[in-house]
Amino acid sequence: MEKKVLLAENQPEFGAGFELALTMSPADVVFIVRDSGIKGRGGAGFPTGIKWNLAGAASSDVKYVVCNADEGEPGTFKDRILLEKYSERLLEGMAIGGYAIGSSHGIIYLRAEYPYLIPAIKEARKNMINRGFLGKNIGGKGFDFDVEIRIGAGAYICGEETSLIESLEGKSGYPRNKPPFPVNSGYLNKPTIVNNVETFCNIPHIVLNGPEWYADLGIGDCSGTKLFSISGNVEKPGVYELPLGAPLKDLLELAGAGDIQAVQVGGASGRTIPASEIHRSLSFGDLPPGGSVIVFDSTVNMLEVLENFMEFFVHESCGQCVPCREGTLQLMNAVDDLICGDICCREDLDNCFRLAEVMRITSKCGLGQTAVNCFVDIINNFVDFTDECLSEECCCERGDQ
Amino acid sequence: MPRNPEEIVADGIREFGEGREKVLQLLNKVNEELSWIPTAAINAIAQATGISVAEVYSVVSFYSFFSTEPRGRNIVRLCSTISCAMTGQREILEALMDEFGIEPFETTDDGRLTIETTPCIGLCDQAPAMLVNGEPHVKLTPEKACEIVRGLG
Ligand SMILES: Cc1cc2nc3c(=O)[nH]c(=O)nc-3n(C[C@H](O)[C@H](O)[C@H](O)COP(=O)(O)O)c2cc1C
Ligand code: SF4
Ligand code: FES
Repeated sequence: MEKKVLLAENQPEFGAGFELALTMSPADVVFIVRDSGIKGRGGAGFPTGIKWNLAGAASSDVKYVVCNADEGEPGTFKDRILLEKYSERLLEGMAIGGYAIGSSHGIIYLRAEYPYLIPAIKEARKNMINRGFLGKNIGGKGFDFDVEIRIGAGAYICGEETSLIESLEGKSGYPRNKPPFPVNSGYLNKPTIVNNVETFCNIPHIVLNGPEWYADLGIGDCSGTKLFSISGNVEKPGVYELPLGAPLKDLLELAGAGDIQAVQVGGASGRTIPASEIHRSLSFGDLPPGGSVIVFDSTVNMLEVLENFMEFFVHESCGQCVPCREGTLQLMNAVDDLICGDICCREDLDNCFRLAEVMRITSKCGLGQTAVNCFVDIINNFVDFTDECLSEECCCERGDQ
Repeated sequence: MPRNPEEIVADGIREFGEGREKVLQLLNKVNEELSWIPTAAINAIAQATGISVAEVYSVVSFYSFFSTEPRGRNIVRLCSTISCAMTGQREILEALMDEFGIEPFETTDDGRLTIETTPCIGLCDQAPAMLVNGEPHVKLTPEKACEIVRGLG
């Protein structure tokens, strides 16, 4: 069942949540966000209230509110819809964030693939300025806030928040070591909150309707609704809003998925499951609810899918650390070998799984840690190793190795 | 006539200011106007922001939207990720390569067109998709894609 808040037909007026927030103390705004139980909508699921509390407590005259609009996870396009239609809501959410942590400077980091969204964001900013929600001394409360747009240049890794900050600073997007965390030392070494587009868009609704209302929207111990972008072999690809914690099969029904061999949830770095598991829930405790869902029907060769994803990771690994830089390449080569039958024994495959485990444990950032998910899931669930193609003992001639 | 790189960088400095953190914005500006990043632009940015030429160069090489080789006036970026791959991206690419006589990441001799493949561009609900000079084109067929590219200036 759909449950629409962010995409509801009838929406509260833009700015209403911010006006209400301005009647409270910044600390109370943080508490409301914390009590709502909202977790970051960009994938990692870190509690937004805790992040804001830490940034609010950091002592500095200059702080930054950064919106992560890098949306690079394959299969994800929900933020595109929000930016197209609800940029005012985003700006409102960022302004509330600024008020809550004591920052007057917002930055939207927009992926280079979305330049056609810039006019909508600029228009929204103009509207918010005209209505007195952005600018100096907002609502006569002595609070200043404005937002600038920065454009990336085509790098998936810049969606990782510390890489994004490096990129904002004009550098190559190599993820930083943590700690220090951005809430203490982020953009230009100032306290910074980085949140996803969807996270910010939720904030005004939370302030207006209260934390309990928000918490009750979700299923089980999940809070709120969640946007999902669904594509692949479905009748009605698109963005759907469901309670967080809803079973995957609800979403599949809405989008008209019929013949299902596999579903990838959470993008290339998420999990790939067989049709028998679609009763599982889209939640931080189960299937990663980052936003991407791709359906593969029974005609799809899953090894080719895997090859496509491994090429993606090889291309997008920033190359800073060895397990990821070399590991993604090795796994991609292994997939190619599997496709042309050059991997012939269990031992070869076991070595790949060992490598995958090393990458998961030792890669510096989320990219390398999760790039192995699709490899492990697809090989384990969707590749039929009959006795002929994979024997226990090595059967090939490898004189040249 | 395209403007010279120094002029574009000087313009960018006036627009954004000259801190180190402006490097990406300056590069984006040069890229937008020229389709690529000439050495003269790298030198000008290094000088204006007070960092080394090598450092600017390393930033250029990090991001896939930048190129240190001249590219066409028009840049086609065809998505090659899975939702597009499953809906005929390969045939579209082949049709484009056939008609315009270039491989991915090559430029036509007349400097009119560069074709690139790119990871997911967030239009998977309308796959297969491509960006042409930043503008989205969706639900492509080989014929439709060729027609769009044919019509470019
Ligand atoms: C490789 C990688 C790519 C990421 N890409 C994005 C992205 O495109 N958008 C996003 O919001 N978060 C992305 N993240 C998550 C961010 O690091 C960060 O957790 C998020 O922006 C925090 O915002 P949230 O708490 O509101 O989700 C990515 C993380 C990794 C490791
Ligand atoms: S895990 Fe990959 S993307 Fe992340 S820092 Fe290491 S090389 Fe870069
Ligand atoms: S897979 Fe092509 S746009 Fe997402």
